[in-house]
Amino acid sequence: MTTTPISTSDTELPAGPGATASNKTKSPKKSKSSASGHRSPWFGRSLLAPVLAFFIALNVIPTVWMIGLGFYKYTLNLGDPRYVGTDNFTDIFTDQELWGAFSRTLIFMVSAVGIEVSLGAAIGFLFWGSSKMPGRRLALTLMFAPMVMAPIASGQFWKLIYEPSFGVINDLLGKVGVDPISFLTDPDWAFRAVLFVDVWMWTPFMILMTLAALGSVPSAELEAAEIDRLNSFERIRYVIWPNGKFILMLGVLLRTIDAFKTTDLVQTMTEGGPGDSTEFVGFALFRQAFNSLNLGYSSAVALVLLIIAIAFTSIYLYVLNLSRSK
Amino acid sequence: MTKPMTAPTRRSGKDTAKTAGYYSLLWVVAILFFLPILWIVMAAFKSNTAILNTDYLFTPTLDNIKSVFDRPNVTSQFISSLYLSIGSVILAVAVSFPAAYAFSRWKFAYTDFLMFLLLSTRMVPAAAAIVPMLLMFNLFGLRNPFGFFLLYTSFSIPFSVWILKGFIDGVSERFDETAMVNGASRLHVMFKVVLPQVKPGLVAAFIFNLIFVWNEYLFNFSIGSEGVRNVPYGIANGLVDSGGNVDWGFLAAMSSLYLIVPMLMIFLFQRYLLVGMTFGTVRGDV
Repeated sequence: MTTTPISTSDTELPAGPGATASNKTKSPKKSKSSASGHRSPWFGRSLLAPVLAFFIALNVIPTVWMIGLGFYKYTLNLGDPRYVGTDNFTDIFTDQELWGAFSRTLIFMVSAVGIEVSLGAAIGFLFWGSSKMPGRRLALTLMFAPMVMAPIASGQFWKLIYEPSFGVINDLLGKVGVDPISFLTDPDWAFRAVLFVDVWMWTPFMILMTLAALGSVPSAELEAAEIDRLNSFERIRYVIWPNGKFILMLGVLLRTIDAFKTTDLVQTMTEGGPGDSTEFVGFALFRQAFNSLNLGYSSAVALVLLIIAIAFTSIYLYVLNLSRSK
Repeated sequence: MTKPMTAPTRRSGKDTAKTAGYYSLLWVVAILFFLPILWIVMAAFKSNTAILNTDYLFTPTLDNIKSVFDRPNVTSQFISSLYLSIGSVILAVAVSFPAAYAFSRWKFAYTDFLMFLLLSTRMVPAAAAIVPMLLMFNLFGLRNPFGFFLLYTSFSIPFSVWILKGFIDGVSERFDETAMVNGASRLHVMFKVVLPQVKPGLVAAFIFNLIFVWNEYLFNFSIGSEGVRNVPYGIANGLVDSGGNVDWGFLAAMSSLYLIVPMLMIFLFQRYLLVGMTFGTVRGDV
């Protein structure tokens, strides 16, 4: 993306008089075969068709459907949907539980992403330059394992690891004389315990992104930095950051979106409890839809969340783009 | 920390002790992350009593692994997992490549917007997407392997397009022009000139999406039916035995077996995994 754009003459302009002109001047030879298809914008658009078909059928239609449902009162098994206008949306504003879950999710998201990014960047840096390390491939494979284990399975197993009477953590704590801690049923601990598992699971992803970002730094620039005797801070500031930031920030974005949606960890480990200490919006929504079967209201909530997420991402990408085109 | 800051290949043999210490530190970090997984894999070879007694030393048994396959449906769950994820990701990469090529070469005015729209599908909370999807799948009778094949393909498309566009942007348009001046068709350029140069991108897109689809649970659980049940569903569903107790041995054995494929992928295609995330801008040592 940031590779030097080999600027070609604007032969690929989609349409307009210029396009036809350059078509004539530049391609005298290929007149015999499929000449019209070469530069026609319609050929380009047709290449997008399969992806767009999938996108419309499985993303646009369900989303429009969801928006529509938001205006209905529709509880599965309780008769037909009934149009209620914007009632669902006004209900959202006064839904204390939901906004509690929302702010809890934000705290979770900021802590999880903050820890994962700093830890991931630190470890990524640590691994940078270890290409001659014996068994490096195996070490990285083992380190990436947490992110490919099925979350549903790791969530369950962490429950066992955290278990007060026969979990391994409390067993080890007991050996150094610490009283058992009910990590998942103690309101003081549950949030941190879930956060810890999320960090364990997704820090490897940020390590991966950091390594990729570092890999996109041209070795020539690093050598120049060495000749100029830049210190570590200057190297990060002037050589690494300008090259690697796009990838790194994309990693942060993906993690942020996913942390905001955290559902399966909570579902397997705490089911939102104890009390509501780990009730996050993703899971609250899941409960509304599938336990209460409250499809209209949950669709309205989903729409509000989607708008928040899109607004956040647009601002984020906008800022990222600004700094990228520097 | 200053050591790894130097160019990756600059390491001389002089300070071997320091190097050994550095490598050991890296190994320790890697193993710390792996420990909980190791604990799960160990449990796969323990009896349920040993698991609940938190035994560190134990006589390994293959009972858990054997009994996994004694359960009904487990084999079919493994098969569904395999063909649903591999098939759908291959289809996703196949349709994403032409689109990424078009985005890269035609520079439509709406490219950025469309690319963003594609990514935005990731922002819909899964639980929210499930509701309309359930109604739609019910309506069109799609709660079958075919429907899930399409669903998982649509999951994998956005990221594939993003990765591939990055890689194709890195292939100079001069290649296209030279070939076309010499009479090649656009399709020939796409598949014979550009495609071979972005193979790492194709592999990267494949691996990444495979890992995501491999562990997909919410949709499978909520709107799946017989025939599309994958292993994550099987794990959740078979967890509690008839007496209401969690069968930890089963959980450990099944999830450890299920981990083999993605771990092998990471080991074998690690280069591509690292390169893939650079969206084609690799220049240094990954």
